[in-house]
Amino acid sequence: MTTLSHEEAYSELAVVALDAAPLEVSSAVREHAAACPECGPELMAMEEVVTQLGQLVPGAGMNPGRSAGIRSRLVMRARTEREARSSAAPGARPDLARGVASLTGFGHRLTPGSQRAVEAEIRKVVPPQKRTRTFLSGPGLWALAASVAFVVVAVQLARVKADRDALRAELASRADTASSVDSARRAIAENQALVAAMAGPDVKIVALSKNTTRMGRMFWNPSSNDWTFVVYTMPPPKPGMTYQVWLVTDSAKISAGTFNPDSSGHAFMRAKYALDRNALKAVAVTEEPAGGMPAPTGPIVVSGSATP
Amino acid sequence: MNPSEQDLPYTREIRSNAEDVALIRRMCDADETALGALYDRWMRSLYSLVVHLLKDPDEAEDVVEETFWQAWRKASSYEPSRGAVSTWLLTIGRRRALDRLRAKARRREDSLTHEGRVLADMASAAPDPSQTAEGAERRAHVLAALDELPDEQREVLELGYFQGLTQTEIAEATGQPLGTVKTRMRLAMQKLREPLSMYRESAQ
Repeated sequence: MTTLSHEEAYSELAVVALDAAPLEVSSAVREHAAACPECGPELMAMEEVVTQLGQLVPGAGMNPGRSAGIRSRLVMRARTEREARSSAAPGARPDLARGVASLTGFGHRLTPGSQRAVEAEIRKVVPPQKRTRTFLSGPGLWALAASVAFVVVAVQLARVKADRDALRAELASRADTASSVDSARRAIAENQALVAAMAGPDVKIVALSKNTTRMGRMFWNPSSNDWTFVVYTMPPPKPGMTYQVWLVTDSAKISAGTFNPDSSGHAFMRAKYALDRNALKAVAVTEEPAGGMPAPTGPIVVSGSATP
Repeated sequence: MNPSEQDLPYTREIRSNAEDVALIRRMCDADETALGALYDRWMRSLYSLVVHLLKDPDEAEDVVEETFWQAWRKASSYEPSRGAVSTWLLTIGRRRALDRLRAKARRREDSLTHEGRVLADMASAAPDPSQTAEGAERRAHVLAALDELPDEQREVLELGYFQGLTQTEIAEATGQPLGTVKTRMRLAMQKLREPLSMYRESAQ
């Protein structure tokens, strides 16, 4: 990377703050500023000025439906990533084959560490020079054999217990991972179904408004009988009440479910219901007692006509 | 503009940096609902900025999504001591928009023919009904501060910020040496610091 003198970096601060400098210059200036007590605060102050210039940009509103879509995608993506991250094991995984061996007792061998521990115990019990003199005779031989056998068994038992615990942890971890993968698969499948429900070639869209204010949409895919309902600026219902969605036909008002918007006024619902392609006349939302009603009783809060 | 868009509740919200910082902390703890809340608070400002730069709503939406995703992935890199969350977020978005603008290597003759008209256009733009009184006052203040700058300094800022030109392009557009462009930019920034310092959002 280019290294700049203080004077050179200082002269570039404004263009860097405006992102008008070449990348290599910008990187070099930022590296210098990170360590320079004069350029660092100066660059930060200039970046604040640049941000203030943004106040002059005329306000522009994104299409609310597309904005709601972007928001949903972001949150869903973040959730999927969070779940995948939390299922990843933080450290090295235990040796599953070894764990199985330790549980069954077949094929298990001393690890180098436990082997060293056994050897150390042997050396403690019998110093090498003494062992060479008395190894083949007398009661010391039996004492030595008993000690060694005890140490080996103790170390082996400890190893078996540790491996068994590691195996249990591993099995639990794998169960969590499988659960997360299933969860991610379900999320992907749901997303794909959602796209199909909202973007099919014969999907009908009913815009929902209150007075002239656009408040949401109902997407109806007659081929798959999917109904996808989105609102984005709903006030909270009165205490003890809920919102209920109705599919209005010439002969009936069919409940499509109840909902309560979140703190920012968003709500999202999906339903499956078969309806004749030409039957839908309107979609309406009423405020009803919590739990919903078999037929609308409250005032219409939001509605939209399904006929051109 | 669609009247309904002006009524989105979050555009009327008074947004404090302390609340933004709290959201960033929750994002660091992998709370995706905080990402949604941050989106609600800053989507409009960010979209306004990038759609103004890119002049393309579809591309602007892409940039908005990329920016919030980057904010999610890099939430731990946000340092409160280096400025407000809004500065951090809008800087990410603006850089991404400029990257796209420059990658397309658009010739800017059409922009340059509007030289000197940027501020006038903005000053005469219809007021945004969704803007808070505080926001409207701030906007007027920034405009007034820019008006105080000498023409040649204001010009380089306009070309750099609102047109997204690089320093070399600004030098070509104004017919000034590169060193002169840099000096004018620095002087302009330094003159704006004082009048705009009252709006600096300290990290909390």
